[in-house]
Amino acid sequence: MGCARDIVESVGVARFWWSDFPLGHSVRMPHDVVSQRATLAGALSLFDAADEPGTTVASTQVWADDDAWKKDFMDVASLSTAHLEKLKKGHEETRAMKATSR
Amino acid sequence: MIPYIERTRAYYSAQGYPPYDWACNDTIAFTAMPKPLRECRLALITTAAPYQESLPDQGPGAPYNAAAKFYDVFSAPLDPCPDLRISHIAYDRKHCKADDINTWLPVWALFQAQSDGAFAELAPELIGVPTNRSQRVTTQQDAPAALARVQTMQADVALLVPT
Repeated sequence: MGCARDIVESVGVARFWWSDFPLGHSVRMPHDVVSQRATLAGALSLFDAADEPGTTVASTQVWADDDAWKKDFMDVASLSTAHLEKLKKGHEETRAMKATSR
Repeated sequence: MIPYIERTRAYYSAQGYPPYDWACNDTIAFTAMPKPLRECRLALITTAAPYQESLPDQGPGAPYNAAAKFYDVFSAPLDPCPDLRISHIAYDRKHCKADDINTWLPVWALFQAQSDGAFAELAPELIGVPTNRSQRVTTQQDAPAALARVQTMQADVALLVPT
């Protein structure tokens, strides 16, 4: 169960319950038990219902009244050169950390 | 649908990195259920990371925290619910406050589902898998290690919840 449909379908999984929510909400909308029950019930239903690989079923839950939120994730156009440099510095620090952690 | 692959490539390209090579498999594994889910033991697999008090901010609204990343598969008891967080992942920080663990870790939800009879039993430990950004490490190291733990737990099925 997850949110990044194109990535999951590129990798290829047997069964996928897709919620078109911002990354970080694979299970439910925040503080919403009804959303959680619906998502989990959908995901669990695929164990028995799917009969072929790559089965994706889209949740009918909707994050917001419009799709404006979808423009924000990794929106390069909104980032300044200084911010991009800051991000790169962070990535390089991550690489160095990873190299020493393994 | 957000084109995450396209966005990610543009995002890192703007920082001077080569395009990220997302895994793209022509063949997809599939195993038909040997018995109904209601008779199965289910294991939970997550990409969330154990909270580490010694590290910088991992709480709600925390910026990306590479120090919180982990690099090896782990197991953790489900009861009480372990404190696993997502500051080490590039989730949507504008629209996800990360103040509700139940949006990325369905422990409470799975105990409820078990009580409702959706499946026979929940494996007593979850399995944590790292986001190593390496197809080689994922396929040759992490996935086999996670599978071995699923088998050791004698789980029939596994529910993967990536963030």
